[in-house]
Amino acid sequence: MVSYPSSFVRFLFCVLALTAGLLWTPSGIALADGPPQLELPKGKECVKPTEWMRRNHMDFLKESRELAVREGVRVKSDSLKNCATCHSSREKFCDRCHAYAGVAPNCFECHHYPK
Amino acid sequence: MATLDRRSVLGLGGAVAAGVLLAPGVSLLAAPAEKTGASADRRWAMLIDTNRCTADCTACLTACRKENNVPLFGEPARDIHWIRKVTIRDKDQRRPTVTLPVLCNQCEHPPCVHVCPTEASFVRKDGIVLVDEHRCIGCRYCMIACPYKARSLVYHETKRTLESNPEVPIRSKGVVEKCTFCVHRLDNGLQPACVDACQKAGKEAMLFGDLNDPNSEIAKRVRTVATKTIRPDLGLKPRVHYQGL
Ligand code: HEC
Ligand code: HEC
Ligand code: HEC
Repeated sequence: MVSYPSSFVRFLFCVLALTAGLLWTPSGIALADGPPQLELPKGKECVKPTEWMRRNHMDFLKESRELAVREGVRVKSDSLKNCATCHSSREKFCDRCHAYAGVAPNCFECHHYPK
Repeated sequence: MATLDRRSVLGLGGAVAAGVLLAPGVSLLAAPAEKTGASADRRWAMLIDTNRCTADCTACLTACRKENNVPLFGEPARDIHWIRKVTIRDKDQRRPTVTLPVLCNQCEHPPCVHVCPTEASFVRKDGIVLVDEHRCIGCRYCMIACPYKARSLVYHETKRTLESNPEVPIRSKGVVEKCTFCVHRLDNGLQPACVDACQKAGKEAMLFGDLNDPNSEIAKRVRTVATKTIRPDLGLKPRVHYQGL
């Protein structure tokens, strides 16, 4: 008679504690819920269709780098600098998605891109 | 080597065509290279007149560091120099002591490129020897191969500051680098920063241009004045020529 409510309370407490543990994530990596919120870019459209860019921007950048550095073909719109004219914050755009996807491009050790 | 073949195949034909296209006296440098890229018809070169270069002037060195974000660590053994000043004394004192800037000689047969295991060092179509810093693994073979000590390894992390040139990347540790003839400026129709600075300082000791264009100032000077290259005996055919050495 006495033990029934107390074990129920204990059960409730455990359930609460467990769900809280599931819901709680360290505030720095609060990513458990869905895709990251990216800052909206300035321009109307990207240098290539958005869908395509989402999947292929790394190859796109590497190709344009190969052309610029090795062949001297400097297409202004395809340069890494140009991304910043619309995606004006690295932290709120590039980095946010990269952190979510678990990639860490080292480009910005050398290249300038606004924070 | 590919460059050599290309050049001998195109030979003077390309040079004459380039000469016709450029109205004489308008500009030594070509139009911006957007889309077209580096042209195999060009051979960028420099002529340094040691008679006009004075020991106390360091305008070219400062301009280079500023333009290319070349860091100065203050450790003689590890500092990065794209261009440095060298004093040459004649042992018998029959010739006057001269000081001259020494930079990457942009050899026609660059030993640094031959030894590079990752093809990070390469010759661009217009003859400029470059390091693709994206491919460099920092092995330093090229530094040993270069007889002009033109290359440096980046030993320390660097930081972007307010004075840094945002147009040009900074460095990451463990990558070899050297003078690029300011390739980012060339591709936009400007001449290298050191040459600009030398002119602005009123020395006019440095001349830059296209050797393949017979009407260019540099081609004329190299034809008419006695010029030398450093260590021609090595057979590397440097494209930095010196007058009065
Ligand atoms: C070790 C320093 C370094 C790192 C790291 C680096 N780069 Fe570069 N990058 C350079 C240098 C030096 C150039 C040549 C600059 C020039 O010629 O204008 C360059 C040029 C480029 C260019 C052509 C010029 C332009 O602004 O468009 C692109 C594109 C580029 N890099 C993309 C990248 C990408 C993408 C990454 C990361 C995956 C990266 N880089 C990492 C040093 C670096
Ligand atoms: C003219 C402005 C502009 C430039 C320059 C630009 N972008 Fe974009 N970018 C956009 C727009 C607009 C979108 C679409 C955003 C949306 O639909 O939410 C976009 C979307 C993207 C996406 C997909 C984002 C997502 O929501 O999944 C990526 C990745 C991207 N851009 C990368 C780049 C890179 C890399 C560069 C530099 C080569 C670049 N962009 C240059 C305007 C630009
Ligand atoms: C919508 C998400 C998203 C956005 C926004 C985004 N990226 Fe990426 N990026 C990725 C993913 C995912 C990868 C890894 C792809 C792979 O490894 O196959 C990646 C890889 C890269 C790489 C190649 C890294 C390497 O080491 O090979 C570069 C360079 C890069 N991104 C640059 C950028 C830049 C610059 C921006 C901002 C203008 C940006 N990205 C914005 C998702 C994104």
